[in-house]
Amino acid sequence: MAAMKPTASDRPSRRTVIVAFAGAVLAAVALVAVAWFGRNDGNTQATNPTPVVDLTGIPQEGRLLGSPEADVTLIEYADAQCPGCRFYTEEIFPTVADEYVRPGKVKTEFRGFPFIGPDSVKALRFIYAAGLQDKLWQLQEALYRNQGGENDGWVTEDLLRRVASEIPGLDVDKLVSDAGSAAITEEADAAKGEAEAAGVPGTPSLLIKIGDAEPYFIQVATAAQVGAALDDALQG
Amino acid sequence: MSDRALRRAAAIVALAGTAVAGYLTWAHYADTAVVCVAGGGCETVQESEYAEIAGIPVAVLGLVAYTVILALIAWDTPMARLSAATIALVGLLFSAYLVVLQLFVIDAVCVWCLANDLLIAPALAVLTGVRLRGDWGQIRGV
Repeated sequence: MAAMKPTASDRPSRRTVIVAFAGAVLAAVALVAVAWFGRNDGNTQATNPTPVVDLTGIPQEGRLLGSPEADVTLIEYADAQCPGCRFYTEEIFPTVADEYVRPGKVKTEFRGFPFIGPDSVKALRFIYAAGLQDKLWQLQEALYRNQGGENDGWVTEDLLRRVASEIPGLDVDKLVSDAGSAAITEEADAAKGEAEAAGVPGTPSLLIKIGDAEPYFIQVATAAQVGAALDDALQG
Repeated sequence: MSDRALRRAAAIVALAGTAVAGYLTWAHYADTAVVCVAGGGCETVQESEYAEIAGIPVAVLGLVAYTVILALIAWDTPMARLSAATIALVGLLFSAYLVVLQLFVIDAVCVWCLANDLLIAPALAVLTGVRLRGDWGQIRGV
């Protein structure tokens, strides 16, 4: 890149520069006006009334989904308020559940990383409590289908009760009681620090653990990426 | 700082802007998630009603602007320098609007967007502006 030395004849005049910068200010103002007045007010996330994945018949115990005998474990760190986690659950998790977990090739483990705000911890208490009834994965999926904006107060007890009541076999009163217990509260409060100590950078984060080996991080962007990583792990 | 160093710095900053805008554009069209990092917020910002202007994703506008500025830096005539500084000024002002949106309207902050709005866009505006001033200085020295 050889810089061209300007001369007095080819440089823009002072008037040209002033006009250009005034034009820039006007262009910016016009851009902001178009952006503000032309925004799409209807661009809100639609709530899907039915589960995006059928977990019926898949073994579930506590925070684990899938056969306990499976040697490969897919560890998911998530925050119920994180839209990226909703994306993972709605777009990638169904493939993981149907093609890897249901056939018994892989089991998947939930770990909370409630870093977005206090409502993340509140939601995590209910998710952990659902785990006591082996319904953690159903509640997590249902919460993502009803997810609101980050820290805008959508994690209410009314919503949690309504969502939980739609999950067959889940005792809602026991769920609410367990979610308020000292043990679950302590676990949920500690989850963020534990995830940070494990080097988890954000959510969703996925790790693969083969047998007792050290877990390693994988990319979360597409179902094909996650599937390829699981195939590699299954081949040893 | 020599004009050559300024030009190189402007090109590097514009490349960084192209990379960030390119990543956000890819995430938009690949319909994939932008990983939530400290503080979260990227998906909220990306999916907000403010993420598009007349149906065009803001990330695409950024990508086009940075690409044009890169081309102008490569071209490097006096008019190209003025054009680069002008576009960078539009970018700086629009970035200020985007910061206000994130902090006070959307109430969520996207680290990728803030990196662009608070670091890359201002740096590019300053570098292209200083190069323009340099032109006048050199001419006065002729």
